[in-house]
Amino acid sequence: MRPRSLVFLVVLFSFLQEAAGQTATKKRILPFDIQQKKMTNGLNVVTVPFNSPGLAAFFIVVRAGSREEVEEGKTGFAHFFEHMMFRGTEKYPKELYGQVLKSIGASANANTFFDRTIYHMTGNATMLEKMFEIEGDRFQHLKYSEHDFKTEAGAVKGEYTKNSASPFQQLFEKILNTAFDKHTYKHTTMGFFKDVVDMPNQYDYSLLFFDRFYRPEYTTIVVVGDVKQEEVNSYADKYFGSWKRGTYAPVIETEPEQTGTRFAHVENPAFPPYISLNYKSPAFSDKDKDLPALDILTTLLFDQSGDLYQRLVVKEQKARSVSGGPFFARDPLLVNVAASVVKAEDMQYVKDEINKALENAKTIPLDPQKLADTKSNIKYSFAMQLDSPDQIANSLALYIWLTGNPESLNNYYSLYDKVTAEDIMAAAKKYFNNNSLTIATIGPGEVGNVK
Amino acid sequence: MKKILHLVVFLLAGSIATHAQELVELKQPQSNKVVIKLMFRNGSVSDPAGKEGLTYATVNTVVEGGTKDKTAKEIQELIYPMAVNYSASVDKEVTVFTFQVHVDFLDKFYPVLRDLILSPAFAEDDFNSIKSNQENYVDQVIRASSDEDYSKMALEDLLFRGTNYQHMIQGTTSGVDHIALEDVKEHYKKYFTRKNLMIGIAGNYSPAFIAQLKKDMSGLPDTDPVIPKPGKANNPDGMNVEIISKENALGSAVFTGFPLDLTRSSDEFAALMVANSYLGEHRKSYGKLYDKIRTTRSMNYGDYSYIEWYKNGGSNMLPVPGVPRNSNYFSLWIRPVQVAEGLKKQYPELNSIETGHAHFALRLAIREIDEMIRNGISKEDFELTRQFLRSYNKLYIQTPERQLGFLMDSRFYGRKDYIQEMDALLAKLTLADVNKAIRKYWQTKNMFITIVTDDSEAGPLKKALEENRPSPMSYSNLVKTGLPKEVLDEDEKVANYKLNVKTVKIVSSKDTFKPPLKGF
Repeated sequence: MRPRSLVFLVVLFSFLQEAAGQTATKKRILPFDIQQKKMTNGLNVVTVPFNSPGLAAFFIVVRAGSREEVEEGKTGFAHFFEHMMFRGTEKYPKELYGQVLKSIGASANANTFFDRTIYHMTGNATMLEKMFEIEGDRFQHLKYSEHDFKTEAGAVKGEYTKNSASPFQQLFEKILNTAFDKHTYKHTTMGFFKDVVDMPNQYDYSLLFFDRFYRPEYTTIVVVGDVKQEEVNSYADKYFGSWKRGTYAPVIETEPEQTGTRFAHVENPAFPPYISLNYKSPAFSDKDKDLPALDILTTLLFDQSGDLYQRLVVKEQKARSVSGGPFFARDPLLVNVAASVVKAEDMQYVKDEINKALENAKTIPLDPQKLADTKSNIKYSFAMQLDSPDQIANSLALYIWLTGNPESLNNYYSLYDKVTAEDIMAAAKKYFNNNSLTIATIGPGEVGNVK
Repeated sequence: MKKILHLVVFLLAGSIATHAQELVELKQPQSNKVVIKLMFRNGSVSDPAGKEGLTYATVNTVVEGGTKDKTAKEIQELIYPMAVNYSASVDKEVTVFTFQVHVDFLDKFYPVLRDLILSPAFAEDDFNSIKSNQENYVDQVIRASSDEDYSKMALEDLLFRGTNYQHMIQGTTSGVDHIALEDVKEHYKKYFTRKNLMIGIAGNYSPAFIAQLKKDMSGLPDTDPVIPKPGKANNPDGMNVEIISKENALGSAVFTGFPLDLTRSSDEFAALMVANSYLGEHRKSYGKLYDKIRTTRSMNYGDYSYIEWYKNGGSNMLPVPGVPRNSNYFSLWIRPVQVAEGLKKQYPELNSIETGHAHFALRLAIREIDEMIRNGISKEDFELTRQFLRSYNKLYIQTPERQLGFLMDSRFYGRKDYIQEMDALLAKLTLADVNKAIRKYWQTKNMFITIVTDDSEAGPLKKALEENRPSPMSYSNLVKTGLPKEVLDEDEKVANYKLNVKTVKIVSSKDTFKPPLKGF
């Protein structure tokens, strides 16, 4: 894969692509043993020993993200709560927590997405017990004042503010809000700005949020690196053993079937024109072939040696880039096809050409060699990412939040082997459907003007 | 005689030394891949005046184009099943081509690598596409994507005005416009030779492979490129503020800095690293700036300080290799804070404020540096910060690619292994060393400051800064009521803290990156 052009650096959904490729071999894709232990309280503990002398990655995956924000006015709350997790406990008030974290010398942070929140620390493996201790403490005994809560809300607003400068971020917010009516994927992980501004008033709700989701049955610990399973399990017992199960399960509304093309637009004459076609996609499954079929198709369609790229970007130079791929998500979300367009007047043309390629994919079987090459591309892309504990833990975390089971990584990749040219045509027919499409544009006019 | 003449020309041009084809090896037999890095001691400093962006255009035409016997499309088809990953990064003083290939395909891929470097195609179509994207970036993308990156680039534009360090790596609008394919070909021949190449290789490769690579790379031109001496940062007289006014900005994105005559080459760097980490470690909550501006006062998403160039701070949590520089500066990154227009809408109690939070945040940050200059840091803070850094620095090199990159950068700075050597320096560092380095290298009287903000904020902010008006912190009632007395007392001091502001200029977004460049 060649480097992408400058404009690609900020392309929407870019980080999804790291997950959106990958593989298929007869054997398991991950060349390391995944050692799991389910504790009696429901906490899953995953250990992957890896040759990284003195180094360990310690990840905690909580299967609660913006998808779980089911109540009106509470959008962005999972992400806000991630911030609150750094506000201390009785044993380790925030200043002391900061000092301990600093003394560990780890790279530590957290992030939230639709389906999950991840807390991660990568550092000195000899400090593993301390990592367990401080994390066990805050996951069970988080305690913050109402003032600290209100104060932290300002930082979240600051995060929204810095993100909002990007037209892609503005468009992404509109795409979700347009494409979804009922499901919580209607809002971004940041949340709607009005809810972000109202956050300081939600202290009581934050206590409820912690009580609901920061529970062992929502959580998996992943440790990768210079560690042994017995050591990891004994620390898990010691520091998370008395964590109590919860009782809450959110009711997330199913999105009704979309019945016509929808439109989202950001007016910005000072930004390169951009078009993005967003179709409803399948939920993640490690058993069903639809998602790997879409992944193979989009990997191939938008590769730089592919016909579409060669025509639009290289020969005609009407577009600066074409790219796309499906979201990996617990519920049906979007498969996206996007292009940065050179001139705004060519947006319709670029859209029509992309549409033709998608229509062709429904009826013309993929060349067998191209199919094999794409599977190889996906497999090797993944294999080459596995050279640090952090990267391996990140790969596992994805499948843990999708299904709860890290073995889904191996299961999912084994599906690629089974995908046929017919499967790909069937998936194209099923998902690239105008009734489930949201056309999103960034352009100089008040409306996108793309049909 | 010819050699002597050459040397004279070399010295007269004020050039930096180049070293022929150094090799850095990192053998890792257990790895499933091979990483090859080709670092040329040449970057955007060699862009000719009027063709700013030429090095970037050249390197991208090479790396995104074809070779003497393969088109770009044929290369893409060949490498598609291999998932080979290759790219090039251009910085001010170095360019690094990085190739990552699975061992299964090393032999099959290698001719592509060789031919890209030795006989790039320089096809017209490839060049046109690169140039168009580059124009798009300097004209639109940089101004309209991230106000923080925009502010950072604008700061460099001020710091290095009139030097070959001033323009963005990607160039300027008029510079890119004047680049022709012939320039690109000529530039490659002149500035990418075997004499300024360092080869790096990591992973699972054979001695025969490295011998072949070295032999082939000696096929590059045998000429000594004359690389211009890197421009030094200007010393501002007082605080010089540039406010970049934009439509519809939600916040004020602030960068500020001053020249710093210190790099990783110096042993004192370790001392200043401790001071800097204590003040504002990148993307960490432990720094004083972060603690006071974000954690305590809820003003923004984060606040950090730097004693060297940090690439893509918005997305990188750890520093990346491949961007070593001789011309250094100290900087503060204050992430976007609220503007008055937004605060008024959100909180009725703030409906009479004239400016948002930028002035207060800036004062607070400057005051923190002054406190450190006046009082130094404590023994306890010194020990804890040193302990942190001795562990944290090792995380810079978690992958073979990073490890190799940092080793190669070490050579740039005249070191063998920067990470190891810094650890040794940190180990023997004393508190006195740190406090001495703070006093020696930091000051707050003379700084450049850039603020990208909303057009509604620009005018009032300019006035407030110029007149050194008090800037009381405008909290919402929600936050204000719970603040402890010591915070409110400190706010009072911050709000009235005198800044040595000499000039404040408002620049419209469309007029940035346009000042006339003096001859290099």
